[in-house]
Amino acid sequence: MLSRTAEYLYWISRYMERAETNARLLDVGYRMSLFPNPNGYNNEWESVLAAAGAIQGYKNKYNIIEQKKVEDYLFFDEDNPSSVFNCILNARSNALVVRTSFTPESWLAINKTYQEILKLKNNNFNASDLPNLTEWTIEQVNLFRGSLSSLLRNDGYNFLYLGLFVERADNSARLLDVKYFVLLPKPQYIGGNIDNMQWSILLRSLSSFRAFRWAYDGDVTSTKIADFLVLNSDCPRSLSFCIQNIVKHLTNLTCSPEKVNKIYNTLKDLNIKIQEEKIESIVDFGLHEFVTQFINKISSVDSDIQKEFFN
Amino acid sequence: MFNEMYQSESLIRNHYNNINEWLEKMTAKVINEKNAEAETHFRNIGITFSTNSETARERIIPFDLIPRIFTFSEWSKLEKGVIQRAKALNAFLADIYNQGEIIKANIIPKELIFKKKSYEVSMFGFTPPRSIYSPIVGIDLVRTNYNEYFVLEDNCRTPSGVSYMLENREIMMRMFPDLFHTNRVTPIDDYPTRLLQTLMSLAPIKCNTSEPVCVLLTPGPLNSAYYEHSFLSDQMGIEMVESTDLFVEGEFLYMKTVDGPKKVDVVYRRIDDDFLDPLCFSPNSVIGIPGIMDVYRTGGVNICSAPGAGIADDKAIYIYVPEMIKFYLGEQPILENVQTWSCDKDDDLNYVLDNLSDLVVKEVDGSGGYGMLIGPKSSKSSIEEFRRKLSANPRGYIAQPLLDLSFSPTLIKNQVEGRRVDLRPFCLMGENAQLSSGGLTRVAMNEGSFVVNSSQGGGVKDTWVLAE
Repeated sequence: MLSRTAEYLYWISRYMERAETNARLLDVGYRMSLFPNPNGYNNEWESVLAAAGAIQGYKNKYNIIEQKKVEDYLFFDEDNPSSVFNCILNARSNALVVRTSFTPESWLAINKTYQEILKLKNNNFNASDLPNLTEWTIEQVNLFRGSLSSLLRNDGYNFLYLGLFVERADNSARLLDVKYFVLLPKPQYIGGNIDNMQWSILLRSLSSFRAFRWAYDGDVTSTKIADFLVLNSDCPRSLSFCIQNIVKHLTNLTCSPEKVNKIYNTLKDLNIKIQEEKIESIVDFGLHEFVTQFINKISSVDSDIQKEFFN
Repeated sequence: MFNEMYQSESLIRNHYNNINEWLEKMTAKVINEKNAEAETHFRNIGITFSTNSETARERIIPFDLIPRIFTFSEWSKLEKGVIQRAKALNAFLADIYNQGEIIKANIIPKELIFKKKSYEVSMFGFTPPRSIYSPIVGIDLVRTNYNEYFVLEDNCRTPSGVSYMLENREIMMRMFPDLFHTNRVTPIDDYPTRLLQTLMSLAPIKCNTSEPVCVLLTPGPLNSAYYEHSFLSDQMGIEMVESTDLFVEGEFLYMKTVDGPKKVDVVYRRIDDDFLDPLCFSPNSVIGIPGIMDVYRTGGVNICSAPGAGIADDKAIYIYVPEMIKFYLGEQPILENVQTWSCDKDDDLNYVLDNLSDLVVKEVDGSGGYGMLIGPKSSKSSIEEFRRKLSANPRGYIAQPLLDLSFSPTLIKNQVEGRRVDLRPFCLMGENAQLSSGGLTRVAMNEGSFVVNSSQGGGVKDTWVLAE
């Protein structure tokens, strides 16, 4: 397989995953905005921007933070490199290049998504349309992922899934971090009712709320949720699940065993640690610090993959 | 005026009878549905052209549901004529890059060849495998009468449009399977296989395997024929590469793969000469594969079409193709050339200037139907404007009479109307010379128009060749 093909496949699923995350983030903001705001606590849209890594770009463009503008910026804006629109655009232009390396159904899924988002962009949307846009995005991404099931389990397949899980690991970690660090800068809120409500919203937006209920008994507590999203390898969005899958698809690669080993060695410790760690010790260590380390690790794995396989 | 379907106002040509019955049974509702289905299909598979328009971004070429039909005997003549022409053009290239017999014989003036930018000096003295310079030749033809065809131009570099030929058939078979039960249409879907066989038969000297590695080299997704590049490489099962995927090491060309370098034997390139090798052609170019020409000339790789093949489809060389056929093949040309005045000759120029309102004037280096004057269809002021351009640079233009292109029945707003068509069949030159039994029929969708180019309101049709 051409190095460039591997690279494009990797990025297609990164973009598709990112489109979904951004749509889900908007949903978080939307749900939060429907709850009454206590004093000094109306920064849901700012935290959404922060979680999307888009706050700087947004502030360069707008002076005030308001729902409609944030929605537009994260969903449609072509100036925002990570907007859902741009993700789909990029995924589609990559897919154009490597359409011969996956199934016609995968191409169709991406291309139809692209055709539809062009139409959506040309229609004016209302703030109340947002849940529909989110739903639509998730549906489209699912269509794409579903189409991958008929692929040959070759290196192309593994690169697609490496991209997916690298992106998801990064996105999940950032979501967690924003929740803890940006959303609740004031210590007195931690563990309070608002805190739990916000956590629940986070779970919902990761479509993990019911899953969480099934996985844990008793009250919803921030520790349980952190355990669920960090360590629980049954949860398909947890950091643990992501890292396990990165390892799996990396070691399934048949090309260049020595490169695979090299990258695997840098990941091994984190993978073992995350399987054995207890959530209490992570909280003691500091969730933010843990997540920051995690994000850095994923980012170095990402650059190793790019360096070893794509250049 | 020749109509492909109607022999006279009330008489349908035999081979169109089935189609006529089918058309009469089709309601407006069905036509609308099928048109929408075709459009959706083309959009979904992505057979589109990039545009600058903000709202559309990409455009599809209008597809007309009514096929254009050739009988077996009509096609046999075309087939012989096109293959003859493709052979002569390749012989011409082999000659001018070696002994130059046609120049010595005073048939073509040497300035006409050696001064052309498309003449590639670095090819002098080198002969590619099997002496094939142009393995895929697209010949643009028009029909003016029952037994009268003219060649409008030759395409020896990288003729495009074959993906439309294949996709038009695909969508027709999908939408109207019954038509293919009642008509014996020669299949064309083996074209990609034959193309691959052709490329493999052109492996370079140093290739020592029976299965040479072929790749398709594309300029990238911004190229208007990009769909075709990915379609063909997919159908052939070969890698579609960009120049950054390739590099030269030692005597060979390699592509970068996740397993490391992999040797490439044959490059089916869909990029221009200028972008092949910055060391050889365009030193300022940032694209290209440095050193590929050295590998090529020493037999480490084959480049199809050969650099410098474009001289053969130059509009100024076109005039001499009938002479080439006689000179190299010792045969009489089967297909005629359009009478052409080359404006760099004084006599011709004067004639052209005196008769501008009756002639079609084209830029020698123009394409896509741009920069041309259709005298009989133009206003006085645009004729005068063209007169000034022509006088200022006569060398840059040729003139031809306006040909009465044949009409083919075409659905316009659910009514069958006659529209003018041309034809581009694709000839493969490798171990064998062969013509695919079909081609790309382009149709001028605007009433009265002679311009079939997709950039100017042209559409396409499925092209049928009936089995014997």
